[in-house]
Amino acid sequence: MSHFLEHMLFKGTPAHPKGDLDKLLARYGALWNAFTSEDVTCYFETVPRERYPVALELEADRMRNAAISPEETEAERTVIVSEREGLENDPSFLLGEQLQAVAFSRHPYGQGVIGSKDEIKLMTRDGLYAHYRRHYAPNNANVIVAGDGAAEELLDRAAAAFGPLDAETPIDPPKAPEPPQYGEKRVVVRRAGGAVPLIQIAYHAPRAADPRAPALSLLAVALGGATAGGGESASGRSSRLYRALVDTGMATDVDASFQLMKDPYLFVVEATLRPHVAHQEVERVILEELARIARDPLAEEEFMRVRRQMLSASAFMTDTITWRAFRAGQLLATGAATSLEEWYERLAAVTALEVRAAAAEVFQEKGRVVGWFVPEAAA
Amino acid sequence: MEVQRHRLANGLRVAVVPIAGLRSVAVLLAIEAGQWFEPAGRPGVARFVAQTLLRGTATRDASTWADALDSIGAAARLDVGLHAATFSAQSLAEDLDVLLELMADALVRPRFGPEEVELVRQQTLAQIEEDERNTRAVVERAWRELVYPLGHPFRARAIGDSDVVRTVTADELRAHHRRAIRPGGAVLVVAGGTEAGRAFAAAEEAFAGWSRAAPQDGKPVREAALASALRRLVVVPDKTQSDVMLGWPGLPRNDPGFVAARVTNMVFAADTFASRAGHRVRDELGLAYYVFSTLGSSRGQSPWTVRMGVNPVNVERAVSVTLEELRKIVDGKVAPADLVLAQDKLVGELDVARESPGGVAAQLLEGELFELGPDHVERYPRELRAVTREQVVETARTLLPPERHALAIAGPPLPEAARAVSEAA
Repeated sequence: MSHFLEHMLFKGTPAHPKGDLDKLLARYGALWNAFTSEDVTCYFETVPRERYPVALELEADRMRNAAISPEETEAERTVIVSEREGLENDPSFLLGEQLQAVAFSRHPYGQGVIGSKDEIKLMTRDGLYAHYRRHYAPNNANVIVAGDGAAEELLDRAAAAFGPLDAETPIDPPKAPEPPQYGEKRVVVRRAGGAVPLIQIAYHAPRAADPRAPALSLLAVALGGATAGGGESASGRSSRLYRALVDTGMATDVDASFQLMKDPYLFVVEATLRPHVAHQEVERVILEELARIARDPLAEEEFMRVRRQMLSASAFMTDTITWRAFRAGQLLATGAATSLEEWYERLAAVTALEVRAAAAEVFQEKGRVVGWFVPEAAA
Repeated sequence: MEVQRHRLANGLRVAVVPIAGLRSVAVLLAIEAGQWFEPAGRPGVARFVAQTLLRGTATRDASTWADALDSIGAAARLDVGLHAATFSAQSLAEDLDVLLELMADALVRPRFGPEEVELVRQQTLAQIEEDERNTRAVVERAWRELVYPLGHPFRARAIGDSDVVRTVTADELRAHHRRAIRPGGAVLVVAGGTEAGRAFAAAEEAFAGWSRAAPQDGKPVREAALASALRRLVVVPDKTQSDVMLGWPGLPRNDPGFVAARVTNMVFAADTFASRAGHRVRDELGLAYYVFSTLGSSRGQSPWTVRMGVNPVNVERAVSVTLEELRKIVDGKVAPADLVLAQDKLVGELDVARESPGGVAAQLLEGELFELGPDHVERYPRELRAVTREQVVETARTLLPPERHALAIAGPPLPEAARAVSEAA
């Protein structure tokens, strides 16, 4: 529902009918869009400096005044179905969706973000509008303004835009925390020829505000590198899983991720298998690597390399205005830190022993969910 | 944007944009070693060479080189495009000299060891097999095969042909490396938290051992031309959505009409909000989640394509609406407001892209690589604004004839009626 609603907030308000602001922002060359995660929906605009008051005005207006008409809801429904269908072409999405559903039996994280095609088809305009009015209020949002300009002026402008809006009754956190898992769960997705074999292994992991979160961020870098993989990437090739799976010819790509989330979520490892390599063999190698990193602390040289990748990636992110704002928003919304500087300091303070300890606590059989994507011969 | 330039004795051109207050630098090194410069009939050699460059040098094996790169926390990749092989990287400013030395080591002194060549071969073959199950890759392969004649450098995707990848030898790779990875024609762009003098000195130090060589000569390439509407459907099993690619052969970056083509592209389909096809297909009719067009930059007729992801039931409608919008442009129905919106969008994007060192470097690269003049960055927005309605109409008429297009579709089988159209074509 949150994701459907995100689409509807581009359909205009009484003050700014559909198309008005689209054209205005396009004219400024703005980078503007939105995304929905399990925790938040984020709307963003990157505009030339002199235009930022327009972005604030737009966001303040649509926070409370979106039209969400029945006609526009119907028109957008097919676009969202199309988005879902595009995702269904991707085996990594299909497996990840199942893995998430299996991992969370009670917490809403198990529902995923976009919903099933039937759920998208059944959502009503009134349901969306009620969700909108309940959740879209200044006391349930963070506004981040990054870029050139005096901080006080930016704050004053933001306060002037959002200050007059009415608050809503505070939202309670989800009433269904995920109960502990008491043994490995497995899921297999089989699809006909149009896919490649994949493995995803997830472990229940702490929330962003947990003191172990910075160490888990470094652990993900040690296992999979700091930047997205793919054959063209030159960085991250010193990581444990790249060496164990790609350099040995068992996989074409590997990834390890720990996301900063409001509630306890997952640490996920993924490998795209070379054709004709057995799933069990790749799973065995991954589990061996996870056991090794949970048993023996990283040697000094390797630890310093991992630390440097993490801190550099953090600096790269904050050297770009849009990413600087995204990162600040993520830290605030999830409770990971109160500022970019605080998070950087926490990352910089992590020790090799803390990385090992975090691995040992998270990589436990009883908190594990293993997913295999198995392509089958086309009918 | 304050650009400072320097040319090394070996011919490598260096352009630097210092940006105060940044901790990092973005580095782009573009070498004229893309698909355009591949030996005829050997698609995939350029990418194979590029991949092998990342697999060890004369003095560092692959692991040692990877350790050294990760030790400075740099993010780096090496991509082969239509025109150039581009090393793109970002590092902390203090590590610029180390980063450039590592890049130079890979480019100038590659090892081409038998085990590493074999690993790249197997990885590439696996990727080609994966791509055959990926609708976006399949639709691009099918579209290129429709448009470009045999032997044309753009007929295959950069990853190439599996027969070439299977048979290429280390000697062939070395020969292509000698021929294509040369400083003449190459450009190094650095943007971010460094002073120009320091970046020039680091480049001098790193690339001093790169032997002088002039840019590669041009070669005859058969013209790509569409005599009629061409269409191909490739069924990829067990998919939900069809990937659609509709397009035409474009024009060289140095063609005097290229800037008008960029504006035409924006008026037509480049953006959901600022372009006609995007607005109609997605916003008004709800037929696709994404629809956008791109025009490539190279010395040749780069692909000019509209791409969309559509339910198989809606493919015919989405394509016909897109062509309807194009016909309106060809018929001269371009409202002044549409043209101004497209120009504002293109000029505004240049400003917004400067939010990051990577964006600044990318903006500079095109002008440097295609030698569009030292004042290109200042001149380019004016050139965009100077494009007239008549030029847009003429560009669409000449380069995007609606009745002579190439349409490729990859995904689930189409409904009966649409399939009949595909099979008849």
